Amino acid sequence: MSIEVKDIHFSYGRIVALDGVTMSLAEGAVGLLGPNGAGKSTLLRILLGFLTPQSGEGRVLDYDIRRSRAMIRRSVGYMPESDCFIAGMDAVTFTAYFGELSGMPRQEAMKRAHEVLFYVGLDEARYRLLDTYSAGMKQRLKLAQALVHDPKILFLDEPTSNLDPSGRAEVLELIRDVATNKGIQVILSSHILDDIESICASVVILNKGKVAAEGRIEDLRAIRYSLYEVRIKGDAVAFRRELEARGCRVDETEDRLIKVYMPEGAERMDLFRAAVRTGAQLRSFVKSRTSLEDLFAGAVGVD
Amino acid sequence: MAVVREKGYSHWDGRLVERRFPWLPITRTGIRLAFRKRGFKFAFAGAFVPSFFALGGLYVSERLEDFKALIQSNKSLLKIDPNYFKVLLTNGFFLFLLILVLAFGTAGLVSDDLKHSSLQLYFARPLGKKDYVAGKMAVVAFFVLLATAVPGLLLVVFKLIFAGSFAFLGSYPWLPVSILAYSALLTVFFGCYIMLLSASSRNTRYAIVLIFGAYYFSEVLAAMLKGIFRTPYMSLFSIPANIGQAGAALFGQKLPLPLPAFWSFAVLAAICLLAAAVLDRKIRSVEVIK
Repeated sequence: MSIEVKDIHFSYGRIVALDGVTMSLAEGAVGLLGPNGAGKSTLLRILLGFLTPQSGEGRVLDYDIRRSRAMIRRSVGYMPESDCFIAGMDAVTFTAYFGELSGMPRQEAMKRAHEVLFYVGLDEARYRLLDTYSAGMKQRLKLAQALVHDPKILFLDEPTSNLDPSGRAEVLELIRDVATNKGIQVILSSHILDDIESICASVVILNKGKVAAEGRIEDLRAIRYSLYEVRIKGDAVAFRRELEARGCRVDETEDRLIKVYMPEGAERMDLFRAAVRTGAQLRSFVKSRTSLEDLFAGAVGVD
Repeated sequence: MAVVREKGYSHWDGRLVERRFPWLPITRTGIRLAFRKRGFKFAFAGAFVPSFFALGGLYVSERLEDFKALIQSNKSLLKIDPNYFKVLLTNGFFLFLLILVLAFGTAGLVSDDLKHSSLQLYFARPLGKKDYVAGKMAVVAFFVLLATAVPGLLLVVFKLIFAGSFAFLGSYPWLPVSILAYSALLTVFFGCYIMLLSASSRNTRYAIVLIFGAYYFSEVLAAMLKGIFRTPYMSLFSIPANIGQAGAALFGQKLPLPLPAFWSFAVLAAICLLAAAVLDRKIRSVEVIK
């Protein structure tokens, strides 16, 4: 396992950010998912050694998160959520500077800065002052500085936030390429489900500082629950209550499509039984493939 | 859609090194960025003007016969002794020029990083808080030493060259040590002072105002308090007065204030401690909003 944490607790004063988080992340792209305030950024910061957990232990690339912070930071790249640059610098100097601070020899860092800026598509703007960069260019620049020292793991914190659709697609394409073709493990923290679904094979869903679900997206879809989409004629409220009494979660869309999340162990016949008991007429019945959005909603318990 | 350039990325086959001084790139970059700032080169050159005048004085002092007509009435002005160096390095105009250089070249050292959230990029590298502070303070040290120790020591050398003998050094063998000690004092003090005020604001212009304002306001405050309480101890509120007092002590000259020099050293040290406490709070890899 490249990343393992066990029973991590962290609080900001009285606010509990992580409450007994335990997880193991293997190779490949992993999505760190959760609503705002779920503890995603805090977990990333603990893995990077920015914050020290109040209890619990963890290892990143077999380095202890408490004792070997410098070694971890030497081996990983970090792309923060917020805009960050150094005023008065151009992209080449900026990228080479952080390569040098990672431990690269000066000339190697400069050479490598040109390479990664070319890779992220900033080659023509590499001598421009960073103060003049657009939001999309700044995102790509942050990716370049995270890649310059050729990390083994890349931590990306909301990499597509504040981007327009085309900028978002460009950054996602880069991240997908890094994750699939370059052999770099990507840990992608985001609350944009589409981003995670398009890049990551595995996911860790955090909710209120706890791991709500963890594993391969395909496996989670299979084992957590079955999703059925039905349309009925009759008393939808009674039908809904009957299903909820049987342990199902029921959502209704604006066009009166009823989504029924059936827990493990429940039978689909329960759905028909509920219809019989409430006198509802089933007009359509489809077993749906759960999207990450459904999975997220199921794990976190929100619509 | 962006084009992912396959040839643009390849794994780096080099080895990351563990540097003895991991903060050196921060210092080098800080110095380079200072020289890119508008008007800085002019201010930097201006800081050496008093030293050029002092050099002229040294030359004239060795050629008194040639310049007799000029200096006849004011011979004592050109007496070259430790006081000559003390006056050069502690006078108000010289310190103003030094602060001008520091304000325009280094006020943004921390404030720019706070404004543009770049601290997290530094701390995502194998750097500690101490490395970051050392790297930034070394930028201030570079400019202070360049404006004080280098001209001071060069002037001693020029004095020996103009005199053609080592008699001057024989009379004041401790003078180079005094120059170095005073330069070290200014380096540590201004390093802490600039870092303190740079970390106090996210706006570099505001930090510049603070650097000038705190320095000169302290002098005004001390004068007011001295007028009210009629005790020389109130002069300890003035940063320039404390620097002057400490400088006089280090050059072995008569103290400008009727107080033990210890108090001035203590005040300057207290400002440095305050700076350390503020920096410890302000410089964080993660901004925690409570």
